Amino acid sequence: MMGRGAGGGRGASSGSGADASIGGVAPAVDGGEAVAPAVAPAVAPAVEFVGVSFAYPDGTQALDGVNLRIEPGERVAIVGQNGSGKSTLVRHLNGLLRPTAGRVLLDGRDIRDVHVAKLAALVGLAFQNPDRQLFGGRVAAELEFGPRNLGVRGSELAECVKSALAAVGLQDEAETNPYDMGYSRRKLLAIASVLAMRTPILILDEPTTGQDARGVARVRGVVRATVAAGRTAIAVSHDMRFVAECFGRVVVMRGGRVVLDGTPGEVFAERHWSELQAAHLEPPLPAVVGARLGLGSTPTDAALVERLKSNA
Amino acid sequence: MDSRPGDPIDGVPDYVTRRSTGFYRALNPATKLAVAALEVVAVFIVPGWPGPGAVFVALAVTALASRTTRALILIGLAASPLVISIMVVNLFLVPGAADPIFRLGPLAPTVTGLGVGLLTSARLLVFSSAVALAYVTTPVDDLLADMSRRGLGRRGVFVVGAAVQMVPRTLERAGEIMDAQRARGMDTEGHIWRRARGLVPLAGPMVFGALTEVEERTMALEARAFTAPGRQTLLRVPADTGLDRLLRWLAALALVAIVALRVSGRIG
Repeated sequence: MMGRGAGGGRGASSGSGADASIGGVAPAVDGGEAVAPAVAPAVAPAVEFVGVSFAYPDGTQALDGVNLRIEPGERVAIVGQNGSGKSTLVRHLNGLLRPTAGRVLLDGRDIRDVHVAKLAALVGLAFQNPDRQLFGGRVAAELEFGPRNLGVRGSELAECVKSALAAVGLQDEAETNPYDMGYSRRKLLAIASVLAMRTPILILDEPTTGQDARGVARVRGVVRATVAAGRTAIAVSHDMRFVAECFGRVVVMRGGRVVLDGTPGEVFAERHWSELQAAHLEPPLPAVVGARLGLGSTPTDAALVERLKSNA
Repeated sequence: MDSRPGDPIDGVPDYVTRRSTGFYRALNPATKLAVAALEVVAVFIVPGWPGPGAVFVALAVTALASRTTRALILIGLAASPLVISIMVVNLFLVPGAADPIFRLGPLAPTVTGLGVGLLTSARLLVFSSAVALAYVTTPVDDLLADMSRRGLGRRGVFVVGAAVQMVPRTLERAGEIMDAQRARGMDTEGHIWRRARGLVPLAGPMVFGALTEVEERTMALEARAFTAPGRQTLLRVPADTGLDRLLRWLAALALVAIVALRVSGRIG
C-alpha cells in the first residue's frame, strides 16, 4: 500500500487528472500500522478512524481495525467489492453505526456519545436508494426537511433550498411531487436534500448509480463545488471512471480493511492491478490503455490524452 | 477433492447446495409445522397447566438441542408488553373473583385473577415460542420448496412466501428509512412529540416503497415465466426421511387424540 503524505501519495499524482493538492498532509495508514506524517497537520483531521472494528449482530465482521485520516477539504472516494465495508464505514461518521472497537473522531472529537441528530449538523449522508428517503409532497418541502431539523428558518432556509436545487439542476422543479420524477432525478433530489443541510462533511453513497452522462456530470459538479466551498467530500462508489476523474484520493477496501490508499494515479497504476482484482475492481479504461501503450499511469481521459500528446 | 452434499459449488447459489444440519433443523419443514401445530393445539385445548407445561418442557429441550434458546428468549421479551397487559387486566378485572390479595382503595387484585393471568400469559408465551421455533429453524426457501414439491400451486407458494417474509422485509425497510431520516437530523431520541412527528417521514417511503415493490415484483415474476403452464423444476428438494414421516404421523395421531379426549370430556 502506498502512503499519502509520507512519500508516495501527493507527489505521484501526475497524469491522474485529479487534483492531488487538496487537503492537508494525510499520514498513510492501513489495517493497523500508521505511518508517521512527513509534516504535522496544522489542524485536526476532518475525519479520523482509529482502529475501528465493527461486527453486525449476526456476527459478520464488517470492519477490521480500520485506521484512516481524511483532512478538511479532501475529496476521497472509497471503493471495494460489495460487502467490503465501505457503506458500513461511512455510516460510522454520523453515528448510525457505532464501532465495536476503536474510535471515530470528527474534527478531533470522539463522537461515541454524540447523538445522530447532533451529528447530522456535521455530516450529511445521501443514501444510495432515494426511495428510502423521500417523503415530501413537493421537492422544496423535501429539501427543507434536513435544514429545518438543524434549526434553519426563514430566508436562510429558502437560500439553502434554492442553492441545493441549483447545484443539481432541479431549480425549476421546486413544486414538483418527487414521486412524479424519474429515478435519476429522484436520486439527484436525494443528494440535494443533503446538500441543503450545508454540512462540513458530505458523503455520497453510490451517487452515480442510475445516472446518465448528464446526471454524472451534475454529481461531479456537486463534489467540486462542495470542496471549493471548503467542505470535505467523501463518496462510496463502484464507478471507477467517476472516481478517477472526480477525486483526489482513492481508498480501496477489502474484507473490512483498507488495502490501498493514494491518488487515482497511484491506486490505478498497473503495479496495483492485482490488488484491485483481489478487491473485485477494474481500473478505468484510460488506465488500461495507458498501461498497454507503456505511458505509465493514466487513470483519466485527460491524463491519457495529455500523455499521448507529450509522447507524440 | 470430492465434494460432498451440502458443499458449496462455484457458480451455484448457496440456496441450491445448502443442507440444514443439526438437531431439529435438519427435519423436513412439514414435520416442524406438524409438531408446531400439535404444540399449539395442546397449549389451548388441554385444560389448566398440564398443556402449556408439557409443551414448555418439549420446547425447552428442543431449543437447547437446536441452539435456538436465545432467539426464543428474545421473542418472549418482545411479547412482554402483551403479557403485562394480560396480567394487569386479569389481576383486577376477572369477573366474579372475590379473593383479594390486598386492597388499595378501589384496587383489589385477586388470587383468581393472578391464576388466570399467569395461565393465559403462559399459554401466549408457549404458543408464540412453538411457532417461533419452527420459524427460526426453517429457512423460508426450504419451506417454499417443500410446499412446491407437495403440489401447492405457485400462486399459493408465492402468497405464503410473501406473508412469511413480509415482517422481516418491512423491518429492514423501516430500518433503512429511519437511518436516512436520522441522517438528516430527525430526532428519534428526544421528546415523544418530536418522535411522533418522525412518523410522517417514515410512513411516506414505507407506503410508496411497498407499492412500487409490488409492481416491480409482479413484473419480475412475469418476466421469469411465473404464469407459464406446466410444473416447475425445483433446483433443490428438502430431505424428507422416514423419521420425518414417522414424526408427522405421531403428531397427527396425538393431535386427533387430544381433540377427541377434550370433546369426549375425558380431559377438562
